[in-house]
Amino acid sequence: MKHRTLTFALLTALSLTITACAAPLPAPPPTRADTAPVAVASPTPQAGVTVVDALGREVTLPALPQRIVLTGRALFMIADAIYTFPEASQRIVGMGQTAQGSGNFVKLIDPNYAAKAVLERDAGAEQVAALQPDLVILKSTAAEITGKPIEALGIPVLYVDFETPEQYFRDLATLGQVFGNPARAQAVADFYRRKIAQIEQAVAGAPRPRALLLYYNDRDGSVAFNVPPLNWIQTTMVQIAGGQPVWSDAKLGKGWTQVTLEQIAAWDADFIFVVSYFKNPSEVVGALKADPNWQALRATREGRLFAFPADLYSWDQPDTRWILGLTWLAGRLHPERFPGLDMEAEAKAFYRELYGLDEAFFMAQIRPTFQGDLP
Amino acid sequence: MSDAVLCFDAVTFGYRRDHPPILREVSFALHAGRVLAVVGPNGAGKTTLLAIALGWLRPWRGEVWLNGRPIRTYPRDARGRWLAIVPQSEHTPFDYTVLEYVLMGRAPHLPPLGIPGPEDYRIAMRALEQVGIAALADHAVPTLSGGERQLMLLARALAQQPKVLLLDEPTAHLDLHNKVRLIEIVRALRAQGLAVMMTNHEPEVVLAVADDVLLMAAGQPALSGPAEQVFTEAALRRIYQLPIRLVEIDGRRHAIWT
Amino acid sequence: MLRAALAQDARRARLLWALLAGLIALFAVSILVGRYPQPGVLPWWRLAEDDLALRLVFNLRIPRLLAALLLGMTLSAAGLVLQSLFGNPLVEPGFLGVSQGAAFGAAFAIVFLSSTALVTQASAAAFALAGLGLSYALARRLRFGGWVLRLVLAGIAVSALFSAGVGLLKYIADPLTQLPEITFWLLGSLASITWPRLLNALPAVLAGLTILLLLRWRLNVLSLSEQTAFSLGSAPGRERLVLIVAAVVPTAAMIAISGLVGWIGLIVPHIARRIFNADTRFGMPAAILIGGIFTVACDNAARTLLAGEIPLGILTSLLGALIFLGLMMAQQIRARP
Repeated sequence: MKHRTLTFALLTALSLTITACAAPLPAPPPTRADTAPVAVASPTPQAGVTVVDALGREVTLPALPQRIVLTGRALFMIADAIYTFPEASQRIVGMGQTAQGSGNFVKLIDPNYAAKAVLERDAGAEQVAALQPDLVILKSTAAEITGKPIEALGIPVLYVDFETPEQYFRDLATLGQVFGNPARAQAVADFYRRKIAQIEQAVAGAPRPRALLLYYNDRDGSVAFNVPPLNWIQTTMVQIAGGQPVWSDAKLGKGWTQVTLEQIAAWDADFIFVVSYFKNPSEVVGALKADPNWQALRATREGRLFAFPADLYSWDQPDTRWILGLTWLAGRLHPERFPGLDMEAEAKAFYRELYGLDEAFFMAQIRPTFQGDLP
Repeated sequence: MSDAVLCFDAVTFGYRRDHPPILREVSFALHAGRVLAVVGPNGAGKTTLLAIALGWLRPWRGEVWLNGRPIRTYPRDARGRWLAIVPQSEHTPFDYTVLEYVLMGRAPHLPPLGIPGPEDYRIAMRALEQVGIAALADHAVPTLSGGERQLMLLARALAQQPKVLLLDEPTAHLDLHNKVRLIEIVRALRAQGLAVMMTNHEPEVVLAVADDVLLMAAGQPALSGPAEQVFTEAALRRIYQLPIRLVEIDGRRHAIWT
Repeated sequence: MLRAALAQDARRARLLWALLAGLIALFAVSILVGRYPQPGVLPWWRLAEDDLALRLVFNLRIPRLLAALLLGMTLSAAGLVLQSLFGNPLVEPGFLGVSQGAAFGAAFAIVFLSSTALVTQASAAAFALAGLGLSYALARRLRFGGWVLRLVLAGIAVSALFSAGVGLLKYIADPLTQLPEITFWLLGSLASITWPRLLNALPAVLAGLTILLLLRWRLNVLSLSEQTAFSLGSAPGRERLVLIVAAVVPTAAMIAISGLVGWIGLIVPHIARRIFNADTRFGMPAAILIGGIFTVACDNAARTLLAGEIPLGILTSLLGALIFLGLMMAQQIRARP
């Protein structure tokens, strides 16, 4: 009998303790975020906005959103796209993690970053709701797990992709409506369009060298080289830049697919580009050039083994910097078609046009982070 | 056959089809108010016989008749009210109380979703009293000795209020005192009109309580009949391969071996 | 003696009512616990003013709490059924290839079909039942050992098969979109529960729990050997199958929406047995209530303790393992007075 009551009491105490621990404080006095009932307090009341998002959903906003929250995984890529709009800094009140490796671009360029709420990687709907957002922007891949519960709270959710050039144009236009600045959306899209057209024109008619793009990964102890799927932006970039991706005939998986050195040798590419997200790609390529296995490859012997460039983030990902990666690729694949290509100037122009960063800022904050095969 | 409550009709059974059967054309009849002892060496198939009598195993050939109908035509709960078995041993990984365990014997009398009520509790207690272990009612089953467990299984069978009781080596774990007690219980049940079939290999017990005997020996046809006719000295010597003598003391026969 | 036994039954019944009251109280308190607007307790009058809070409570917290409740209930009931039928106190629904089958089904849906809730749930449930059926069919064909052992061996083999399948699916999954979903699902979490997801699982769960509660005394009889159960007037094969299906189908339905959450089916029946003893007439409702309490408490912690979600499976494993160790060390053979 004693034993039983003891166990029962233990059980009750345990469950109450857990619940109590989960509720450590009584509700403290309201803070800035914890204001009265949610009413979209827009300083300049405007007509409502209806947009169609990446998943084809119609999202109706009663007014231009002033409290935007960004959350979900792979956030920095869409955050960088969103921050091409000058309104972003003011209207975004909270976001998830935007760091990759040691770079955190948003923190660098947003003067209000410190005042923004930072959400954990796996923030749930309640944490997001606590920020009282009037719009949440997510990558469409997070719809099932992260998006649905937020939608269930009646908070407007906008899904974007920003994975391919076409999606960039589409999602930029959507964001233009959301920020009430379609002109800016057009300007940014035109920047990309111009660049792409320039490159396509320049490489038109040139023979396409065989190019191999590899992602180097040694995070789990062993070294692995991976190729991207055919529908990823890395493959598209190689094609636009006037190259011929050698891995297009392989049976690829849905994500990075590991390939052996044998396969790399069998492909016998004219150019090999090595991407590395966490280790300095120049270091990686330096080590490869010293490796006798790699020295035997034709591309290495002919001096065409390159480290893919990066600054705060690598330039190969579907982040806004992919246009820089594309420009660089074209310059490497067809140097004769791009005489006088100055990547530093290209980067300067990129940061000036897209983020309004002046030369001084660029030289102080961005230029020192250059990695890979850049002057 | 006519008034037999349980009847085996040329039952043939084996566990594996590619081996010769264990039971070959076994026939006997069990009557109400009589005790039938099944005697034979180990491996002769006595436990198998009980399982067939219960309806658990189905014979290859032949039929088992329960109160004039083939046993397999009985719905399961009706069968549970007719027949009860007390196995040799039972493994219980959980510590039920003795009363809870015996209460399970009321299952055939309850509807499929039923739960025992006060009347079922009374019947279970009476069964415990009948076998003499009422004092152990709230003890945990794993704490019982082998003999106490045997009596508990008997109590559970009695809680079923069966017409036919099947006992598998009921005296196996019992000391002399409990052996005699069991014999007295069987006699009392017989007086109440139950039909009892019991496997046993102790001649003393058979001689003390059996009315009819079924003799089984491996490779030989089974012999059944009244105890005086079948359970003879010659039969005993053949079964146990020992020089056994039967002597009569005070009107009852006893087996003596040296 | 008889009166003492009946009095003890009455005592156990009262204890069950107390547990029920405790569960209801916990549920009511949990509705107001969370991280909105601050980590802590939401003052209930705020529900009248704050529209978002109201929607939060009704569209998110309540279905989530119900999901936690039902998850704990089904896993515990299923664990009790399996432990009783197999006479093995170390069994839980993950044993018969049910959990692994559900995991495989969900991963399969995420990678090859669509990852919408309905498809994932249906696939998980289908493969959970397939795992069960496969274990059962395999056990019948094995010619080694008793029924219990055969089922255990078959279950291990089938579980291993599905685990390997999940590994393969993880390997070919898209690391951006599909792999995180699979991993999230494998760790078990109730973070994405909404009313539609919950309502999908509800019929199976309610039906299963009802059947198990109705058969709570009969489970005692069926936990005996097959021949003994037969002699007590039951059809052991058929009735056990009913119990197993009534235990496994709701489990699969809940796993399909919550992911893999372990240890509950192992621990809670033990706790129930310690307090209420072996008779499943009390053990079944006890396991159901205690399972509900345990899981709701764990989920409260999972969604409130830290800024990010703690996967529920991690918390239940941690707490479950600790409690299990405690129980094992306090084990004593009791001969009651």
